[in-house]
Amino acid sequence: MSGGDGGAGGGRIERDRTRFQDIVRGAIKRDLRRYVTGSELIGRKGRQLISIPVPRIELPRFRFGKNGRGKGSGEGEGEGEGQAGEGGSAGAAGGQAGSHLLEVELSLEELAAILGEELELPRIEPRGRARISSPSRRFSALRRTGPRSLRHMRRTYREALKRQIVTGSFDPKDPRIVPGADDLRFRSWKETSRPDHAAMILYMMDVSGSMGREQKEIVRLVSFWIDTWLRSQYQSLETRYVVHDAVAKEVDQQTFYRLRESGGTKISSAYALAADLLEQQFPASEWNIYLFHFSDGDNWSGRDTEKCMSLLRERLLPACNLFCYGQVKSAYGSGQFKKDVDGALAAEDIVITAEILDREGILPAIKSFLGTGL
Amino acid sequence: MAAPGPDLRALQHEVEARARELGLEVPEIVYEVVGHRELNEIAAYGGFPVRYPHWRFGMEYDRLIKGHAYGLQRIYELVVNTQPVVAYLLEQNAPVEQKLVMAHVCGHADFFRRNAWFAHTDLNMMDVMPSHGSRVAALADRFGRDEVETFIDRVLSLDNLVDSAILSRARGRHGNAPPLDRGAAPGDILGHLLLHAPLADWQQEVLALLRDEACYFLPQVLTRIMNEGWASFWHSRLMTGSLLRDAEVVDYAVQHAGAMGGDDGPMNPYKLGLELYRHIECGADDPATGLARVFDARAVHDDLTFVDAFLDEDFARRHAMATTTEEFLAAREALLASLTNGGQPVLRRLPGEGPGLELQHVWSGAELQLEQAEETLRNLVALWRAPVRLHTRSENRALLMTCSEAGITREHGEVLPDGGRRGSGPPPR
Repeated sequence: MSGGDGGAGGGRIERDRTRFQDIVRGAIKRDLRRYVTGSELIGRKGRQLISIPVPRIELPRFRFGKNGRGKGSGEGEGEGEGQAGEGGSAGAAGGQAGSHLLEVELSLEELAAILGEELELPRIEPRGRARISSPSRRFSALRRTGPRSLRHMRRTYREALKRQIVTGSFDPKDPRIVPGADDLRFRSWKETSRPDHAAMILYMMDVSGSMGREQKEIVRLVSFWIDTWLRSQYQSLETRYVVHDAVAKEVDQQTFYRLRESGGTKISSAYALAADLLEQQFPASEWNIYLFHFSDGDNWSGRDTEKCMSLLRERLLPACNLFCYGQVKSAYGSGQFKKDVDGALAAEDIVITAEILDREGILPAIKSFLGTGL
Repeated sequence: MAAPGPDLRALQHEVEARARELGLEVPEIVYEVVGHRELNEIAAYGGFPVRYPHWRFGMEYDRLIKGHAYGLQRIYELVVNTQPVVAYLLEQNAPVEQKLVMAHVCGHADFFRRNAWFAHTDLNMMDVMPSHGSRVAALADRFGRDEVETFIDRVLSLDNLVDSAILSRARGRHGNAPPLDRGAAPGDILGHLLLHAPLADWQQEVLALLRDEACYFLPQVLTRIMNEGWASFWHSRLMTGSLLRDAEVVDYAVQHAGAMGGDDGPMNPYKLGLELYRHIECGADDPATGLARVFDARAVHDDLTFVDAFLDEDFARRHAMATTTEEFLAAREALLASLTNGGQPVLRRLPGEGPGLELQHVWSGAELQLEQAEETLRNLVALWRAPVRLHTRSENRALLMTCSEAGITREHGEVLPDGGRRGSGPPPR
């Protein structure tokens, strides 16, 4: 559904790619892992930018090392692979495709698109809720005035060239083009109005004594990616955070990731608070609502778990698009809660649970959470 | 994948007619119009829609689509040396870009047919590659996917051990690799393994087809500057000479500048090759002689001899590669070194009896990366199943690496004179 598959051979290359990724992840052929260069971990740089390394497996070869040859040209494509430039001549605009790690900076929007493509996430079809119209801007127009930073060089050059040819001031022997004020062209936007869908995400996290730093870090990473994806699907997105041990409270984002409490665990406290919050501030008729809950799977008692199930059935599930429960493995957690949810709510399509053993489990968890397109 | 529509066919006709008028040999060219995903996929397979199953193609694909997604890089054209020549057009390209690509492809097609290094390649690879693919897939079903893939990994780790000097011995035969009926040449380690290593039948078969594929791609590796330069020389001449419409000039100029630019500066192979051909042309007294020299050069050289013959001090100064004679000599030397044997070390088998295999690294002024050499030796021993000795040097001393199934030893020998690439031994080719 995302991007459209290639032709007949699409499945074949995807198999090769999956195989490569499995090796990089260490899932198969572990002896090749030591040849993996670069890291596949995706980090965040600053507020908007991200750097994404591309992992490679470099098979050992007889090659020059230190005191080695100066790298000249002719080794652009796949030098790490020996058959340099195999494939005739794949011309790449704007420079060679180096075989080194590509480190690139990109915006969150692009990142979301890549995430969607990587995980083959379906685009979300917003539910038929009240629609708000919001203006959106696209830089698809040209104007004669504007700020210098938006100057369209190619169009400006072309206007100047046209004018000089027409006025006879163009000299083929000295083809100097000097744009005048009338030649300047600037990029500009067109405003279009398109229906908007409002969405809210509510993150709930167990912060009882058993959730350690690593568990919170995993929750942070999962939430970051979910946030990124959903933001790419909705114009406006509200996020709210609830933490709980034996009692629940709403907190801001900072606190959500930092807080470490130490009490016992009553999950129902969080669900009750969530239900109140939705009813008071986010009526289901106007919002696409996503609920995420993370814990290590320990709950106070079976009675409380029953209470959770009835809260889910009666108040939360009817109001939301999706309820996801991620169980992060900790040294203390029993992991019972996921079994309970799976057992009690097996018939509900919009309930998804996932177990996250370690960081390697983050991407699969996101894929199962968001793979439904709900 | 789709056949070109009437507009593109008309364009192809026009471009090829002009190219022939100017003296290019334009064989039959079949264009396929593809989307970017498909193009990246085919590029990952080295230009062929089907190859044998292996993770390295997946790795290449992964890199290409990420590069594409980030807007870092985009493949414009992809052309394959087969009969007919197959080339791919990106469906999103604007008409002026398609025209540019077609003009460029005419240059490549002529080069494939007229450069001496390509005289002996098998032109049926569009059929051969898929048949290699289905053979390997069938063997993987029978002997186990991991087993077959691990064997391929080992061979790929050794697949630069082919001898480019003997490529011509494939003349008049089926396939790309030199025949082995009179034994393998000293540099043809893969051929030697094929003849004498204790391999199972299926391993023999896989090794033979990988060796053949390596020999198919080798001429392209050895002529990258010449080939890209030739295609650029002709797209430039065709486009600015007659093909461009007035309204397209600026767009074309931007495209062309993009392909000639980049971080490599004057070392961008497109740019370097193009400028060297122009340098040859301008060196003659009259345009006709100049052009004739250009055609001659593209027929007989590879990158190493091309740069050696034509990159002079005047050229280096004009293209900002050097400002002094010393700089020029150093830049030239470094470039030649990086082009020698396609930038790969030269290893030769020393004559000898017995089960052992003895290799000599032909010294050219640069040391091997020793950790990798050890790992590679292990792969070699896994196929050869007897000790392998490698004579090389490290920190100006002789070094003998001996690898057997028990492990690897290094013995350092005498201090050697600090010979450069001119100083010791015969030139690699």
